[in-house]
Amino acid sequence: MLALLVRRVRTQWPVLAALLALLAIGATVAGACALLVTRTGEQALESVATKGTADEVKATAYTVQVAPARSASVAADTRAVLTEAFAPFPISTSVRASSRTRVLKSAPQANGLPAETYLSGMDGLESRAALVTGRWPRAGAAPVESVLLETTARMLGIRVGQRVLLGQEKAFDGAPAVEVTVVGTVRPLPATGWERDTLGGIGYEVGFFSDGSSDQPVLAYGPFIVDLSDLFATASLMDRLEVVAVPDMRGADVRELNAAVSRLGDADRLLARRLGDRVSIHRVDARLVVTMAQAREQRRVAAAVVVAVAVLGCGLAAAALVLAGRLTSEVRADETALLSALGVSRGQFAAAAGVETAVLAVIAALIAVPASAALHSALTHLPPLAGAGLATGPVVTATQLAAVAGGALALAVVLAVLTIRPVVAPGERHRRAELVARSGVDLLLVAFAAIGWWQLAGQPDVATTRTDVVRVAAPALILTAGAALALRVVPPALRGLDRLARRARGLVLPLAAFEAARRPHAVAAGLLVSLACAAGTFGVAFSATWERSQHDQADLAVGTDLRAAVTGLASAGDGPAIAAATGGSVSPAADRGVGIGQWTGGAAQPPRLVATDMGRAGDLLRGRLPEGRSWSRVGASLAPRDRVDGVAVPAGAALTISGTATGDVPILVSPRLVLQDSTTGLRSTCIGDRVLLDGATHRLPDCATTAGQQLVAIALPITPDPAAELAETATTSVAVTVTMPGPATGPAWTATSTPPFESQLSDPKVTADGSRLTMSAGVQLVSSQAAARTLMASTFGDPGPVPVAIAARVADELGIGRGARLSMPMGITPVPMAVAEIVPEVPAAPGTPAVLADIDTLSRSLILRGDLRYPADAWWVAHPARAGAAERVTALHLGQVTARDATAARLIGSPPRAGVTPALRLLVLVAALLLLADVILHVSSDLRVRAVEVARLRGLGVTRREVRAMLLGQHAGVLLPLLIAGVLVGALATRIVAPPMVRAETGAAPIPAAFGIWPWAAEAAFLGVVVVSCLLALTVVVIAQTRRADAAHLRVAT
Amino acid sequence: MTSLLSVRGVDRTFGQGPAAVHALRDVSFDVEAGTMVALVGRSGSGKTTLLNVVGGLDRPDTGTVVVDGTEVTGLDDDGLSKLRREKATYVFQTFGLIPVLSAAENVGVPLRMARVPLKERERRVELLLDLVGLADHARHRPDEMSGGQQQRVAIARALAASPKLLIADEPTGQLDAETGLAVMALLRGVVESEGVTVLLSTHDPVMMALADRVLRMHDGQVHA
Repeated sequence: MLALLVRRVRTQWPVLAALLALLAIGATVAGACALLVTRTGEQALESVATKGTADEVKATAYTVQVAPARSASVAADTRAVLTEAFAPFPISTSVRASSRTRVLKSAPQANGLPAETYLSGMDGLESRAALVTGRWPRAGAAPVESVLLETTARMLGIRVGQRVLLGQEKAFDGAPAVEVTVVGTVRPLPATGWERDTLGGIGYEVGFFSDGSSDQPVLAYGPFIVDLSDLFATASLMDRLEVVAVPDMRGADVRELNAAVSRLGDADRLLARRLGDRVSIHRVDARLVVTMAQAREQRRVAAAVVVAVAVLGCGLAAAALVLAGRLTSEVRADETALLSALGVSRGQFAAAAGVETAVLAVIAALIAVPASAALHSALTHLPPLAGAGLATGPVVTATQLAAVAGGALALAVVLAVLTIRPVVAPGERHRRAELVARSGVDLLLVAFAAIGWWQLAGQPDVATTRTDVVRVAAPALILTAGAALALRVVPPALRGLDRLARRARGLVLPLAAFEAARRPHAVAAGLLVSLACAAGTFGVAFSATWERSQHDQADLAVGTDLRAAVTGLASAGDGPAIAAATGGSVSPAADRGVGIGQWTGGAAQPPRLVATDMGRAGDLLRGRLPEGRSWSRVGASLAPRDRVDGVAVPAGAALTISGTATGDVPILVSPRLVLQDSTTGLRSTCIGDRVLLDGATHRLPDCATTAGQQLVAIALPITPDPAAELAETATTSVAVTVTMPGPATGPAWTATSTPPFESQLSDPKVTADGSRLTMSAGVQLVSSQAAARTLMASTFGDPGPVPVAIAARVADELGIGRGARLSMPMGITPVPMAVAEIVPEVPAAPGTPAVLADIDTLSRSLILRGDLRYPADAWWVAHPARAGAAERVTALHLGQVTARDATAARLIGSPPRAGVTPALRLLVLVAALLLLADVILHVSSDLRVRAVEVARLRGLGVTRREVRAMLLGQHAGVLLPLLIAGVLVGALATRIVAPPMVRAETGAAPIPAAFGIWPWAAEAAFLGVVVVSCLLALTVVVIAQTRRADAAHLRVAT
Repeated sequence: MTSLLSVRGVDRTFGQGPAAVHALRDVSFDVEAGTMVALVGRSGSGKTTLLNVVGGLDRPDTGTVVVDGTEVTGLDDDGLSKLRREKATYVFQTFGLIPVLSAAENVGVPLRMARVPLKERERRVELLLDLVGLADHARHRPDEMSGGQQQRVAIARALAASPKLLIADEPTGQLDAETGLAVMALLRGVVESEGVTVLLSTHDPVMMALADRVLRMHDGQVHA
């Protein structure tokens, strides 16, 4: 038997080489995919950790209500817990703490509301704030040295060098009053953690502020920033104490990462045990845990695609082996018959086949191990894996070895079964092939595929592990079923060709048609051609679908081309700076959590408000809309009809204020000017010192710090002197004049009393005369209502309900449609809104119940309701023209910068997901290779079997050229319908399988939903390469075969 | 009578040196039009090689072959194909029918090569099948017919192009004696009715009796 095998190898080496090649290809695909899933997957996780930003890997321990005098030990113990959790990675820590509020008696009061403040301390103050005046506080000074935010200092009228007494803490047995010396003023730097300050780094809250310790609203100012050691030494109750630990994760491997993540997950419990009753509340927010969980989720999504590709690749290889096995059986038919006649038993045949396939499998595995390592290495050197820093040299891992061995073994079993199977005579094969089709195997496959699709389409929007199995199996099932079904479609088409050929006059093409239509074709060959073509086209289209969806998700997630979130308040100088840095069109924008009436949307998805310049919505907004709708049209229904003009205020221009009040009660006003930037429309509020309405002229601060500013509104909160005693029915009439640097008569001014207690003022008026703007009103001085009396003059009127576009989920949740009226509280100011449009999603707020509005209209409405703060907390940039625009804006240190293209690149090429595109490339390559191999195997086998027939045609007088044309026509006639069927199956799979296969980086369904993309150019290129390669191979085989078909064949035949 | 086929001094050797096989050695003979000539001899005597050389499927090393005034040895590949289409058609021992075509379609192959219009083609195919007694088997595929029937279809196909010379290599070699005799009778009838010249090879003595002339071959040489 061994001798027989050796002789077979010598005489049948081309066939055996083909079998070996197919086995090796299948095992190589399995090995390469295993490496992509495991080795590259682990590298990706390591990369996420080692290259992650501080915000992505840090852990923050929050403690609340730290017992007096225990703050230092709590901070030290918290540091220790975080250090242990991150071990063996070294960490750097920083501490930030804020005390319980204290009474601030020296602050100006309004309507009897108490003023409060608080102490704060932080590590690295110099890197978190810029010194404006004075110097940094020194530790250990007496009294304690402090710096103030410049806004706080202005509001409180505190100068550098001044001593301020901070009253007793507002707590039972609270710490006694403490005196501080203000040694400087500072300005918060963006993205340095000020958002976690009690007042968000704004420095004051002049509205109704509650610190949570009582129901009493207060006016809040602060913080007084002192050295951390001084803060702890005050024995204050720490309302908030947080320790941020940033690990250095260079050189991390998966094992260490997993251990750290596990310990961080347990850090809450450890912290509780360590801190005991020294704190009331504690929590550890470990971003590394979240980041790694997200990375694992992304890796899982990518792995599902890679494994699906492996399944398809091995399926293709198996189909090719079925074909090759059949051809091998045919080649050996005579030999088998002879040996059988000589008495070789079936068992002996099986043993020989087993030995042969085992040897082939071992050799294939030996080839596949280095081949898969090299293929994997090559794939990692291509984008996006290379871009994600995951390029690696050839590696061999245990998982890879197992995958290669498993793949080779599985394919060898397929081959062995085929080889042992009795040889089927051609005529019988035809009947058997039909039998297979008729037996409903393909229909059974279709049924399975339908179930797969049903499961795939019905997978939940959230991430689950169950869907991975479906995502792995469904593509292979659906493509195989489609290809099998296509085999049923091709024969009728060829029969139609046959009917046409019968009536034709010539011989060559009709004979080709007869041969194509009537000659029995191997089921495996046909299946492989259509399946390979379907898999290849699907691979190309799925890759495009995947990338398009990532771009769509990035479009909607960012909402515009480039977005810069602003820490604190957006200022007038930001817009021009961003415009200069990017060369794009800049607009202020708002993106914040809100309530819609009484509806808060639930904890998981609180409503969000997105507002920007709707007059330029077409330019600014990104995100896919249904066919026939555009952001320009949506924006047109939200944008204001007119623009606001004001009185030009040149940079540095001096404005003055003076006023009078009737009666004996001294009246104070705190003038606030609203300036509008003529370029971006951003409005900023300038707060002047309180002035007594005694007829004297006071200079207002230099509000216009940049060119192009216009005064569009003046708010005058009116208060009686707190020291004055008021009669029960005290009233007064005030007249306040603001003198402009130029004419004040341009725009039409209107005067109002701002809500919610408009009746406190009567007969509000405003008149412009030359450069003077005079506001007057009657004032009710005594009221049981603790409310401000604010006289407002503005160059615009009340816009009424702000027109908004709401996300479809808002409409669904609230059961509202166009024309519905809503009220949206912005801070403490309710803004009336009217639904003008319903959109699938709101840019920058995908997946949330969001509302889209025009920021100018929103601002007008807010101002006229007494809230002068411009709602912008970000800048949006459309069409940035300068290279490196995002980096340039980042360099402005305004806050976090997010670019649409960078987000798309991250979604496509983030390390855990970067394996998807290479895997799909691998699928396309394997499909093309196996398709070509199939064509060559099938055609060469067919021509070998028909060599005598070809020679006889020559004997009948058919020229070589005609024989070649006939053979080419015949094979092309079979190949092309199969290819077309494969393309149709691929297109169908792209439409129904690709979209549900695409997942967001969280593993959930993408927003917006993905839809199948058919990239015509790429598909044409793939099909062009396939068709040209096949025709080339076909031509070479046919020419060689035709040359051989001579009298020698006839002699053999006769 | 005029000579339709003239073979002069034909040599054909396969291989070189000591292993060379001299299949034909200075073969010369003539065949008159409208006759049936049988080549007889043992296997390996050179019958098939001679028929292949006459039909232009093989080229002699030396010598000339003239069929109906056309010197076969001077024709290029296309010329030889034209010769086999129009003047010298083949009947193979294993029938040589195209498996995927019906009897009628097989017979129609030469007519398609001649681009005969559909109606005319159908008429002539019907006549030819009637001639070989298979009119009721027109739609049968080769694997649905017996060996004798297949060979009769092959003869009808060979006659479809109205050839001057019909070359048949062991036409009854795959048939039993009775069927073989029927096929030979058919060929004889064709010679009589159609005036076709038939050159065939056989080693069946019974078949020789139906031939007008018998040429014996031995070791690559022809003996009258």
